[in-house]
Amino acid sequence: MKDFLEYVPGNSLIHRLNPVVKLIGSILFAVACFCTSNLVFVCCMLVLALAMAASCGMLRQTTGLMKAVFVFSLLLAVIQVLFTPSGDLLLELPWGYIGTGSLLAALTTVIRLEAAAIPLFLTFYVTKVSDMTNAAVKVLHVPYKYAFTFSSTVHFIPVFLNDMSSIMEAQTARGVEFDQGGIFKKIGLMMPLCVPLLVSSVRKTNSAAIAAEVRGFNLRTRASGYKDYPIAGIDAAALALTLALLAASICLTVLL
Amino acid sequence: MIHINDFTFTYRESTDPVVRDINLHIPAGAFVGITGAAGSGKSTLTYAMNGIIPHCYPGDFYGSVTVGGLDTCETALTDISAVVGSVCQDIDSQFVASIVDDEMLYGLENFGVPHDEIEARVAEALDDMGIGSLRDRPIDSLSGGQKQKVAIASILALHPKVLVLDEPTAELDPASSVGVFELLARYARTHGTTVVVVEQKIALLSHYADMLVIVDGGRIRFADTPANVLAHSDELLAIGVNCPRSTTLMNRLAADGIYDGAVCRNVEEACTALDALVPQGALAESRVVA
Repeated sequence: MKDFLEYVPGNSLIHRLNPVVKLIGSILFAVACFCTSNLVFVCCMLVLALAMAASCGMLRQTTGLMKAVFVFSLLLAVIQVLFTPSGDLLLELPWGYIGTGSLLAALTTVIRLEAAAIPLFLTFYVTKVSDMTNAAVKVLHVPYKYAFTFSSTVHFIPVFLNDMSSIMEAQTARGVEFDQGGIFKKIGLMMPLCVPLLVSSVRKTNSAAIAAEVRGFNLRTRASGYKDYPIAGIDAAALALTLALLAASICLTVLL
Repeated sequence: MIHINDFTFTYRESTDPVVRDINLHIPAGAFVGITGAAGSGKSTLTYAMNGIIPHCYPGDFYGSVTVGGLDTCETALTDISAVVGSVCQDIDSQFVASIVDDEMLYGLENFGVPHDEIEARVAEALDDMGIGSLRDRPIDSLSGGQKQKVAIASILALHPKVLVLDEPTAELDPASSVGVFELLARYARTHGTTVVVVEQKIALLSHYADMLVIVDGGRIRFADTPANVLAHSDELLAIGVNCPRSTTLMNRLAADGIYDGAVCRNVEEACTALDALVPQGALAESRVVA
């Protein structure tokens, strides 16, 4: 988990896009996935998302993400199969039935969530968080305090994950068997570790806040940012493409 | 540059003062080393100098602390920070960015350094610390020593009038520690910067500092030139401050009336003194035998 949500340097086309365009584009892509229930369209979106991941060398990270999203989406899919009967009858249940429509809807849900998640996560892997927040401040005029809060949150996620990992390793060395038993036993063993993690987290965030303040945090203005983030032709094209995908998704929903 | 008068401070969650009756005057351009046993109040003293006390750690504050003419109680922390650059003890918590370059830019952007100066300042600070090649590296991928150098470089780039560093070489090997002190001393000379360093390595402090401050139980026990402070090696040992062994040896010889020269701060000075003390060739022969 050490490299979770951490920027991976590169020089791919997606790396070079304007951070704001990447952020807005990935959100529009996700919205497009949710605007339609057309299975073929969401499959195309998934293929497109994977192609984007491949183009910037992020297939390994994307595969890891897809596994995590799959577990979550499977839960939703099971609920959908059991409680939204539609289509031809496949299996009778005491409270309804499982139909072909239920299975298709569940499959669409899984693929839709996978397709929507990939560009959002790719954005973090191919964009420095500082670039994302600085661009949001400069281009979108987001107040710096909010942008800094966001960047600090993302900055601290791997820090806290590493802390948790260190605490678990220390406890494992003292005989705690995290690798034995089921998930509930593991959760039970982890619960007491939340206290030292919380204490160290609060201490770290407090120190970070002081460190930011003694380096002029309160003086920051929109014009302070050193880097500029102009919208280039390729950025406009990327934005147009995602808008087109969104329009296509809406059209499919309206027309079919 | 720094004037601390009758300063006593008690943290809000504590009942006893952490530091008490502190009087310390540090002239502009001085290189001051602060040391003492763990929990003696060294870090609290630095927090008073950089304004973190009372602005971030509230408590009972008595006396006055002025830095560059600014009263730390009456001046906003941001204004104090424009004068005082601080390197914290917990380096990992100091970082606000994930990439070295962004960390370097953070303070420069905030303090409104003209954009055409920023590139030169970043490059100069990184080169001074010998870490120019790390500029595009993620901070998480750096060793402890490299992180400390990045933290110091990010403050040096701000060109502060006063530099307060809390154990800046804690994670560095001996050679890198000497390198950092060399840099700080050179930086202080060339920029006229006042440097205050809290450090456990008293040998380094005594070699580079103009003034050595020994803190014991929240009070200043000694504040003088390193030679004058190290003359009290037995008293220092009693309060948990280990002098260099060469200093202790020569002080013992002085106490026994065998040596009456200046206090030796390191092995080289002790060797020179012993060469003068021992008959010609005897010391060299004893080294060969050893």
